[in-house]
Amino acid sequence: MVGMALSGLFCGALLGFVLQRGRFCMVSAYRDVYLTRDNRLFLATLIAIAVQSVGVYTLAALGVIQIPEIPFTYLAAVIGGFLFGIGIVLAGGCATGTWYRAGEGLVGSWIALFGYMVGSAATKFGALKPLHDVLTAPKAPHAFIHETLGLSPWLLVVLFSGVTLAAVWRHLRRPQVPVPSPKPRKRGLAHLLFEKRWHPFVTAVLVGLIAVLAWPLSEATGRLYGLGVTTPTGKLLQYAVTGDASVLDWGVFLVVGIALGSYAAAKGSGEFRWRVPDANTAMRSLIGGLIMGFGAGIAGGCTIGNGLVNTALFTWEGWVATPFIILGTWTATYWIMVRPRRRAQRVVVTGAAQSA
Amino acid sequence: MTKHLRVLGMVCPFPLIEAENAMAELAPGDELVIDFDCTQATESLPRWAVQNGHEVVAFEQIGDAQWQIRIRKGA
Repeated sequence: MVGMALSGLFCGALLGFVLQRGRFCMVSAYRDVYLTRDNRLFLATLIAIAVQSVGVYTLAALGVIQIPEIPFTYLAAVIGGFLFGIGIVLAGGCATGTWYRAGEGLVGSWIALFGYMVGSAATKFGALKPLHDVLTAPKAPHAFIHETLGLSPWLLVVLFSGVTLAAVWRHLRRPQVPVPSPKPRKRGLAHLLFEKRWHPFVTAVLVGLIAVLAWPLSEATGRLYGLGVTTPTGKLLQYAVTGDASVLDWGVFLVVGIALGSYAAAKGSGEFRWRVPDANTAMRSLIGGLIMGFGAGIAGGCTIGNGLVNTALFTWEGWVATPFIILGTWTATYWIMVRPRRRAQRVVVTGAAQSA
Repeated sequence: MTKHLRVLGMVCPFPLIEAENAMAELAPGDELVIDFDCTQATESLPRWAVQNGHEVVAFEQIGDAQWQIRIRKGA
């Protein structure tokens, strides 16, 4: 138990630290492709997937880890992915994003986290479990894309990594405008760890490596999976209200570690402060959190479980749920950001025409 | 002219959206001062400014998780 707790907390803290310093945010990555036509962060998520797929299939080939069968419950992947995508925009952060922003002292993220916990626990073990079971009942015969195609997974690993490398190369070759940052006050290692702006691609490689490390650490405790956030978050609430210590697995310590690592990173950089949202943001965070918990609960994963891990394994679940998560973020972005702005502009224009 | 925008408590991308709206009302050469506390905006605000042809005149951390940036509108 102590070993499992330390290993989970350690891996989570590493992840939380890197996410906070790298400002790694998968909601922004998906949203900005649509909102600002900027795909730099999206490219970063592809790097994290590629690094993990190379690492995980190498470890599996060496016999260090075992890759589990991820059932492809297509109906739940589509509906859950889409709902989760809407939820993360409302909540202002994906699952890990909410955990690490909670560590930065954002009270809005604590509220979102609470909703997410309740939503996930209700879906996985509570009142919404019957609905979960109905939606996840239809299963496809194959779990893995390479299984259906009758190919070696390595072909997909090489293909995906090659495409990602080419896209990164093209992106880096474009002339970059220098982006100003505040004058450095720290030097050496302290500057590097607690002040410097990290390139999103560097952050992505680190996230990918931590995702690889998670596999052997987690499997050593009997949990056959890598990084995961949704089920552990629900289990944390389950443990809190039942006191049943048997629900505590490696993943629960991982998610707690994310908040601790992010707190250390934020505190060390002078970026920790309790910040209270206004009433609107608070309500939006709560509702977003609840939707996230339900969506990820039926889709078999969040932006990490599906968006990062199941995609790296080349499972159908990951590659179907993730596009629907992205579609969900775009839909919510349209309704709460793009449309109100267009209407405001129209009012200004007609107002000006009337006064003329 | 200098316009002062306070977006404390707002999380990304809302500081950026407010900044875009405020900037639209300014003339080239005017300055926009933004007080913000969203960590992610330390990346997104200056990037948005330089990519849209504006100039970041000043950018500093003024306290724990609190920043101020001054942007001059480009032509």
